[in-house]
Amino acid sequence: MFKKLDEYRYLIPKSYKQGMLIEGLVYANDKMIKHIEKDQTKEQVANVATLPGFVGRSLAMPDAHQGYGFCIGGVAAADINDGVVSAGGVGFDINCGVRLLATKFELSDVKPKLEQLLDRLFRDIPCGTGKKGLLNVSKLELDDVLRDGAEWAVKNSFGNDRDLAHIEEYGKIPNADPILVSTRAKERGHHQLGTLGSGNHFLEIQVVSEIFDHEVAQNFGLAKDQIVVLIHSGSRGLGHQVCTDYLDIMQSGMRKYGISVVDRQLACVPIQSKEGQDYLKAMAASANFAFANRQMITHWTREAFRQILGSGEMNIVYDVCHNIAKCEDHEVNGKKKKVLVHRKGATRAFPKNHASLPEELRSYGQPVLIPGSMGTCSYVLVGTDLAMKETFGSSCHGAGRSKSRTQAKKETSVEELFREMKSKDIIVRGETKSGLTEEKPDAYKDVSEVVDVVHGAGIASKVAKLLPLAVMKG
Amino acid sequence: MQTGYIIIEHPADLGIEASGESLVDAFIQAAHGLISIIVDPATIDSISSEHIHIVADDKEQLLVKWLSEILYLYDGRKFLSKEFRISLLNETELKAVASGEFISESKHKMRMDVKAVTYHQLVVEENMNGGKVRVFLDI
Repeated sequence: MFKKLDEYRYLIPKSYKQGMLIEGLVYANDKMIKHIEKDQTKEQVANVATLPGFVGRSLAMPDAHQGYGFCIGGVAAADINDGVVSAGGVGFDINCGVRLLATKFELSDVKPKLEQLLDRLFRDIPCGTGKKGLLNVSKLELDDVLRDGAEWAVKNSFGNDRDLAHIEEYGKIPNADPILVSTRAKERGHHQLGTLGSGNHFLEIQVVSEIFDHEVAQNFGLAKDQIVVLIHSGSRGLGHQVCTDYLDIMQSGMRKYGISVVDRQLACVPIQSKEGQDYLKAMAASANFAFANRQMITHWTREAFRQILGSGEMNIVYDVCHNIAKCEDHEVNGKKKKVLVHRKGATRAFPKNHASLPEELRSYGQPVLIPGSMGTCSYVLVGTDLAMKETFGSSCHGAGRSKSRTQAKKETSVEELFREMKSKDIIVRGETKSGLTEEKPDAYKDVSEVVDVVHGAGIASKVAKLLPLAVMKG
Repeated sequence: MQTGYIIIEHPADLGIEASGESLVDAFIQAAHGLISIIVDPATIDSISSEHIHIVADDKEQLLVKWLSEILYLYDGRKFLSKEFRISLLNETELKAVASGEFISESKHKMRMDVKAVTYHQLVVEENMNGGKVRVFLDI
């Protein structure tokens, strides 16, 4: 059973499962914890707590649900010297993440041309199953993308220098090594640069409907009635293959290093081993591919706005990774430590004055972007000091799925979904019917409830609410 | 054991449960299941073939690598598999031929991208009644 610590915190004591080396902690309210108890989330949080060298607590954010190995919404950190790295703890879609763009337009400017704008975006940004990107990068150039990430895109006129400062890690994780990315992974990703993908990936035109913190919102460049664009995409087939390759390497590595795990999807190797270092360099390369991918999508979004509305001027509010492992400094049991933070479906949420943030954000904190499900609102939050103390500077990443894809499809036809969206004055373009119905709004938890838990618990603070106007899905 | 596959649910993704008269049949059915998630198999013709050779530590890893190979053929090589012939399957090795054709956007009815094959609640069983496997996919 969970031990309720307060309104938003549920502890999984070490006694819950044999082999737990640290405690587990789930952020939720009374209603959500009942839902979380229905699937394997709790077991997965406990399983992560058995991994060698993990410190602090094994955490689950309020959007948590059952995943593979780690739960989705899971955060856990390993001591950089004694701990292990788990490819499954990052996930297959390495640096799947979101990016928010703030336009110069207001609702009244965009509304009359919204259909036209969405059609242009749908035409120019490839999405859906098996779709190729518009840009043909050579194999040699792909290595530059993997090494330099969004910086490569900016160098090639797909953005500007200001963009880079507003991306986690400035759009380029150092130490990326393209040589450690397999030919297969490169083959899978080669044609997919600048594509949205399918599944839960999307691009939404939204309007800022409510401001909770005016000072911070102003610093982020957000105002009421402003039009913004939210992009959700990742490292595509390249990242999926890198994770597949290194899961395989880690299966064999565990025998070599005498490690056993309770779930094979948690396969791991010592961070300081050759296999561990190789994975982190290949992961960094995949993450850079994802940063470049979102940068290309940003470029085509700007182009579409320019052509339809006359101006493509828009600033990146921020770009955050959802699936990543990062070497960071944190305080654990009162001592400063270098740890490898695994975020699997979770967002970094650094507070003001953090050295990782660009000068212009340092007085306020890092923007934390929380997309809702299709047709519901999204949120912008800001990182807090408490997150640094409790969650390795992390917060939730979205609404979190509550219904399976099959169940969602069974419950709603695409016609019903379109009717529902129309009643909310939202226009939708999707590559496939099933792709849309699987992502229907109530297949997810209530994002407002998730955000209220995060805000209430103090691990991020609400800044603005965004409402969707137009949705593009793969 | 009945030969065939069913698609099973996961809170966020999908899985395949496949069975057959032997483990070879179950592996083949799992491959059919995977392809049916990605594309309408009725739209694929067997025009050319690809050879597959996999070495693994055990049968569980062999299953993950077998399906990962078919996924790579699709996403990396743009080859859609229609039929499978497994000539060798033991504890650590699998040899097979997948026949099908390269993707044509106008011909093939694509359904859904599959990111990867997982080890989550993986089942590989063989007994007197035949073979059975279960595998979950990241969508």
